[in-house]
Amino acid sequence: MDLFANLAHGFAVALSPMNVVFCLIGALVGTLIGVLPGVGPVATIAMLLPITFGLPPVGALIMLAGIYYGAQYGGSTTSILVNIPGEASSVVTTLDGHQMARQGRAGPALAIAAIGSFIAGCVSTVLVAALGAPLTSLALLFGPAEYFSLMVLGLVFAVVLAKGSVLKAVAMIMLGLLLSSVGSDIETGQSRMAFDVPELSDGIGFVVVAMGVFGFAEIIRNLETQTEETRSIVAAKVTGLMPTWPDLKASAGAIARGTVLGSILGILPGGGAVIAAFAAYTFEKKVAKDPSRFGRGAIEGVAAPESANNAAAQTSFIPLLTLGIPPNAVMALMVGAMTIHGIVPGPQVMTKQPDLFWGMIASMWLGNLMLVVINLPLVGLWVRLLRVPYRMLFPAILIFCNIGNYSINNAPFDVAMTAVFALVGYWLIKLDFEPAPMLLGYVLGPLMEENLRRAMLIARGDPMTFVYRPISATLLAIAVFLLVLAVLPMIRSRRDEVFVEGET
Amino acid sequence: MSEGVQAPSGPPARFRIRNPQDFYGGLVLVAVAAFALWASRDLPGMRGFAFGPGTAPRMFAIILGALGLCVAAVGLVTDGPKVERVTVRGTLLGALLIALFAVVSNYATPLTTALGLRQYESVVAALVVLLVTIALARGLDRGPLYVIAGTLIFAGTIRPLGLVLASFISLVVCAAATVEVRWRETIIWAAVLTLFCALLFVYGLNLPFAFWPRF
Repeated sequence: MDLFANLAHGFAVALSPMNVVFCLIGALVGTLIGVLPGVGPVATIAMLLPITFGLPPVGALIMLAGIYYGAQYGGSTTSILVNIPGEASSVVTTLDGHQMARQGRAGPALAIAAIGSFIAGCVSTVLVAALGAPLTSLALLFGPAEYFSLMVLGLVFAVVLAKGSVLKAVAMIMLGLLLSSVGSDIETGQSRMAFDVPELSDGIGFVVVAMGVFGFAEIIRNLETQTEETRSIVAAKVTGLMPTWPDLKASAGAIARGTVLGSILGILPGGGAVIAAFAAYTFEKKVAKDPSRFGRGAIEGVAAPESANNAAAQTSFIPLLTLGIPPNAVMALMVGAMTIHGIVPGPQVMTKQPDLFWGMIASMWLGNLMLVVINLPLVGLWVRLLRVPYRMLFPAILIFCNIGNYSINNAPFDVAMTAVFALVGYWLIKLDFEPAPMLLGYVLGPLMEENLRRAMLIARGDPMTFVYRPISATLLAIAVFLLVLAVLPMIRSRRDEVFVEGET
Repeated sequence: MSEGVQAPSGPPARFRIRNPQDFYGGLVLVAVAAFALWASRDLPGMRGFAFGPGTAPRMFAIILGALGLCVAAVGLVTDGPKVERVTVRGTLLGALLIALFAVVSNYATPLTTALGLRQYESVVAALVVLLVTIALARGLDRGPLYVIAGTLIFAGTIRPLGLVLASFISLVVCAAATVEVRWRETIIWAAVLTLFCALLFVYGLNLPFAFWPRF
């Protein structure tokens, strides 16, 4: 079978000693940062992007994928031990996970989270590999008009599934698109809105925007909310790491259901992992014989959402790798990283760079394995890290970010610009504007503009081309339908209930 | 999200902005859009049916402006939380710091030449930022201000003063962003981290950084 030949090729790439080391470092560093309270995967990846720039492209992406899984696992650790979810997708984990920790069962909770994630990872890796090829051939039917419409649909998905006001989310996307148009024009090379600042002639750096708006703004926000009193670590006794036999039996079904739900929901653009975790938890509660146990330390309540968010994290690579469309903020960061390495994400990646495509898929599985074998024994270390007061942690994070950021171009200007975007991010968070759609818009901006221009040129300036071409028309129709659905106030109020604590 | 929402009591006696977050947020977006339109005014637009360099930016800016107006309008008819004083203060003062840094590092050449410190404009800018931050930051807005100041100071000092001094100063300034700062601990911690960064980035990762000031 082609699939297995390809996977074997992928493993050959991923198992080369250097790539194993990259994956290992990624998973470790990702967990290290992800474990810090209030720092989610997006902030973690944004902060760690610079360290991957010196690597070869395949190694860099494998490391980034490792960082992503590590960050997600680190987030779960914090949720269980400190009750502070680092990211929206582990909010649900706090409900039962922290209760288990309070009852002195932090060990089994952490172990089942890792085991569940690993099993979900195995299944979804195969799924990614299996779906990759057919979706890629579908993507080859796409012309500029279809691509443009697909990106519109992707953005609309992100808006509909984000929390809060739809209008504000759309405005944020526009802000991102506008920011992306700073710098040289793709066709004529003319400098746009750069005010003769040489550092802006290439546009505003991707790392600058991501690190400022997500990393730094996040730290500023944590500084306001986190004081020593609010953090209660129940890390007194993380003994007895292994779950008991009844624990395993109870979670087996939950892990299976979580994996299936997560894999499906992860493919959808928008906050896949978040919805997956919420959905899996709710579903588990529905099928449970005794739903009242949930919220009081039921192990299924940890196993299901953890499996689901990991499966979703993995399958959300599918739209990115096949269509080149990032379905959420983390994948938008991946696009940024790929672009910096000169890789244009999309269907051509699989045919032109099979090493990268299959190597990355194989490394997903490897990354998950590493989380189990490395992170479980290291739980004690993460616990100790959590005891380091925040007043000592955040200056360290900031200085690493600044040095890393400076090292990319040796440009002090980039560091200063990051301060600007930190302020922008702070303002956005404070006024309840979500920054994630802005990042998506920023990343998709150049691609959208290019395809829009090409489509218009091919159609000799007739904007109706987007409606006359059937695939494009279908995509746009779905987008409009979704948007109308989201704007209808009744559905919107229900949506707010579901995602009351959600963010991408 | 619901806390801070004030239910309207009785008929409003006078005109009142019911959701200041949306209203002012929307207006800021309109301002950004207007600025972008102004900044892209010289760029050529459509040529026949081909897009020019200015077409897409103007299109994005116009849509952003329209959406900003809508957000602001929604802010007039729905109820929502207030914009906290601290937020406004933190943002305005942060913007002031950035503006000061930009202006001083670009226009301080006469001053630095007079002092015999040519090419140290950005250090002067960093110093100005530090002094202004100390003078202005208090209470809760010290978070954003000291983080921004620490970052700007790093940007201003890394080239002329080298990695060791830039990291150390920036670390100490950043540490002041929390009210829980303890000075003796901070100094020791900053020294340890500086050593670590120097070893990691210069020896470990082989990055071409200068260690010490260049004279």
